[in-house]
Amino acid sequence: MNIRAVRVEDLAGMQACNLHNLPENYTMKYYLYHALSWPSLSYVAEDHNGRIVGYILAKMEEVEEQDGQPATDHVPHGHVTSISVMRSYRRLGLAKKLMLQSQEAMSSIYRAAFVSLHVRKSNRAALSLYRDTLGFTVKNIEEKYYADGEDAYAMQLSFPQ
Amino acid sequence: MPPPTLAQKDKKLFADLLTQYENKQLSKGRKTADQILKKYPDHGETMCMKGLILVHLGLRDEGINLVKEGMRKDLSSHICWHVWALIQKSERKYEDALKSYVQALKFDKDNFNILRDTAVLQTQTRQFEGLVETRHNLLRLRPFNRHHWVGLAVAYQLNGNLAEAKQILEYLEGFLRNVGSYDVEFSELLMYHIRILEDMGNFQLALDMLDSNDRDKGGSILDRTTGTEMKVRLLAKLKESHVDDEKKAAWTEQADVTWRWLLSQNADCYEYYKGLLANEGIDLANVTDENRERALGILRTFFNVKPATAPRRLALDVTTGQDFIELIKPYLTNALSKGIPSLFADLKPLYRDLTKRQVIEDTVEELRTTYASSSPPAGNSVEPTTYLWTLYLLAQHHSFLGRHKQALEILDIAIAHTPTLPELYMVRARVLKRAGDPYGAAKAMDTARLLDGQDRFVNTKTGKYLLRAGMPDKADAIFSLFTKKDTTAAADLEEMQALHYLVEQGDSYRQAGKLNLALKKYYVIQKVFDSFREDQYEFHQYSVRKTILNVYTEMLKWEDNVRSHPSFIHAAVATVQIWVALYDDSTLGPSLQPSDAASETSKKALNKAKKAAHKGQPEADGANSKKGESTRRSVTFALSSLRSRLLSAVTATQSEDRGLEPPRRRDEDPEGLKLVLDKDPLECADKYLAGLTELVPRSLDVCFATYDVAVRRKKYLQAVKMLIRARLLDPEHPDLHVRIAHLRNTVSSLPEPLPAPIGPVLAESITSLLPEQVSLELFNSQYLQKHSSSPMAVLAHAKVAQISKAPQEEVETILFTVLKQPVELDHKAAFSVLSYLKDMKSSRAEEFRIACNDRFELSTLFKSAEEIATLQRWVAEQEESQGDDRESPETDV
Repeated sequence: MNIRAVRVEDLAGMQACNLHNLPENYTMKYYLYHALSWPSLSYVAEDHNGRIVGYILAKMEEVEEQDGQPATDHVPHGHVTSISVMRSYRRLGLAKKLMLQSQEAMSSIYRAAFVSLHVRKSNRAALSLYRDTLGFTVKNIEEKYYADGEDAYAMQLSFPQ
Repeated sequence: MPPPTLAQKDKKLFADLLTQYENKQLSKGRKTADQILKKYPDHGETMCMKGLILVHLGLRDEGINLVKEGMRKDLSSHICWHVWALIQKSERKYEDALKSYVQALKFDKDNFNILRDTAVLQTQTRQFEGLVETRHNLLRLRPFNRHHWVGLAVAYQLNGNLAEAKQILEYLEGFLRNVGSYDVEFSELLMYHIRILEDMGNFQLALDMLDSNDRDKGGSILDRTTGTEMKVRLLAKLKESHVDDEKKAAWTEQADVTWRWLLSQNADCYEYYKGLLANEGIDLANVTDENRERALGILRTFFNVKPATAPRRLALDVTTGQDFIELIKPYLTNALSKGIPSLFADLKPLYRDLTKRQVIEDTVEELRTTYASSSPPAGNSVEPTTYLWTLYLLAQHHSFLGRHKQALEILDIAIAHTPTLPELYMVRARVLKRAGDPYGAAKAMDTARLLDGQDRFVNTKTGKYLLRAGMPDKADAIFSLFTKKDTTAAADLEEMQALHYLVEQGDSYRQAGKLNLALKKYYVIQKVFDSFREDQYEFHQYSVRKTILNVYTEMLKWEDNVRSHPSFIHAAVATVQIWVALYDDSTLGPSLQPSDAASETSKKALNKAKKAAHKGQPEADGANSKKGESTRRSVTFALSSLRSRLLSAVTATQSEDRGLEPPRRRDEDPEGLKLVLDKDPLECADKYLAGLTELVPRSLDVCFATYDVAVRRKKYLQAVKMLIRARLLDPEHPDLHVRIAHLRNTVSSLPEPLPAPIGPVLAESITSLLPEQVSLELFNSQYLQKHSSSPMAVLAHAKVAQISKAPQEEVETILFTVLKQPVELDHKAAFSVLSYLKDMKSSRAEEFRIACNDRFELSTLFKSAEEIATLQRWVAEQEESQGDDRESPETDV
């Protein structure tokens, strides 16, 4: 499958792909927000007909506010908002390829120190991909992170400096 | 009468009122306004401000009335016009709001806030000439703010004044040089500048600028990948635009290095290979015998780049003959041993070459035999799953070629081998769907779903298949397993803009004759696209501030074309067709109303839908489900949004503030029952079509839909234009044939010929489609002769016979010929013919149904109504044991 950086005209396909695969969904504006703020961090995988069969939607984590002021101890880091591959396009290593492209861009363009993501506690396949294949570690558990009450593992991967 | 002038201390009071509004001290502001109005009851500006405050307090109607009254008192106040513009903007009447802003500027031309909002609206409504002027004024007022320079450059670019845009950027960069060496926004600004140079055709200049800002040489362009992609594109353009240039060799060499660098970053990007080969003069899509060897040679050098799959796959496109045979086998065995489910989809494009198709079939059959035998080749033990995936591939192969029975037999073997692999049932579902058995297909997909309840993909597919089987309730029950728990599946999927769902649901209702519900769904699709159009609004300001502009201007182009999305076109055409049907048969709308007996359940449904609509209030930014993510996001992004700023700076939202936007109105007609009773369905259709004219040149269906409305509205010139358009797209299309005959017949049976100039022009246009001396009968028989094997052509022929008033028996006889040689009838066409027979209330419809039922033995489309009801019950049954109940009870399939 073809792996390339996202274009605006891919976003509808990305949204459709997300709706097919995952229970966490977003309206178009949120996709636009990612693409227009960090145009080089999101990638897609497309099939021979140009259909989006996998994607990574990523961003740089913004500076958190502390008492109305930007936090001084902010370390630039990336965050994976959503990543998924259609069931019928699994086992091609697409998720890994998409992730690596995005990580490279985070590190190289934005000097990100690490990338973070959340994963459902029950999603063993994803957990194993992030931990065993991509080298993420679990930082902590965020209780009831998901709307249905499930906990999330907050995971991180540091980039070599 | 001139507006009253406030005394000095009352002027102070009015200034307080403005501040209070800006600080969102709404109740306080209201009191201040009352205080002024007590003394000056005709003070228009105060009335407008009070009206605006009332709107914020939730008293929308009262507030708006007061604003209007205030306007009448003082038409020369920029405050009144500004307030009115804010109200119009909140109702998304952007064109109107813009006019009010322009009025406001007449009385206060240097009002910064008004100018800023004007610029946004001019961008939203694509009035770029005015935008340039507005941006000029903003820059004049705030020349030390870089955003206003950027804003002016963008305005120039959008208005096509690239040279001016370039000049502004050069100036801006001059004083931005010292911003610090590491600035992503500056990097983006430089790339925007280079893009403008490229669009001006200054490729060399663009290239030089890229080079001098190269990060590796200490330059400021931080995005290496994007920068390099630009570079190589520029090199290609330079080569293209200079036919005989000694630099060409150098450019080629440079491009080669550049493409290879890109491939070292991402060896799975097809465009990079395409570019690398194009640089060598090889068109990857059209490799010739002359350059085939060379193309393969280049691709081969990437074969060992791990884990790229693209070069090996592209080699399959490029090669033929023995080379292909040698490459395909390892490609297949590798994918089969890994159990890659997408293998067939990956190979399918190769099937255009029949030789390759045969080679693949032979190779896979051979592998199957090898894997099936109990003793695998010496020293080469094969996993049992490899055999399974081979069967899986073969089944898809045969089904694709229409050999459904063979495909099903292979799947039976595979399922007997491993009854727990969902993929096998998913393919089985697909095969049955293709063979015309939507019920068996839904059942099979549901079986797959039961084997992996955690997976939303198979859940979505099951819902879709259930919709195709005419079972919307069961489908919603399945969908709801993955949608938000506090609302219905339909409400959640609507809110999340799930176009695939909306299209299927609309089609399903339409198929079932529930035109009211179908219309509702199709209108939701229109609403989704309206909100896509709406989404750009906040970025006009946001992107200029961030100076991330290349992607922003791409977004504007995307927005301009967003309605060419297939889901939009599909919904638009279906909507128009339903309106036309409602017009043609005025009893249809009333027939859709619930009878008294049914009204109780319908009331219940209504209440339920109302509840759901009430619950389904969207969040400001609509990110669903992820708690921390969505709430935080909607806050920060709303902060950057212009709309929330209103007159001035962002202030904390207080609870009494209901905002400016009109509350979402409750849907009083959730089932579309009033909708289908509309007195003027053609007008409704025409309204819908008015926004679609830009789609006409590309879509045959839009042409036909527009024709159908135009001819009924007696707009004959528009009608004929659509047919001429359609002929350019597909001159032999059966639906075009019918419409040409229809138009000729309609116009020639007008009681009086149309007057000049319309009459003669129309006559001439029709003649260009169908020469005057050719009779309808001859036209029709010629068409049939030309397409004698096409069932849809026969159907079109029958329709035209009906237009020329052939007796019903004759039309029926024509339709029945689809069952005979030389017509190549498939179940889809047969179903269309059956539907047409039913529509014309033919007594032979049942006879036709039975003939088709016998003919398409795998299909359930031609079962009787009772049989179909039984099948649907069977699909809906919860299975006792998973994955085992595959036999249909009532049919002999």
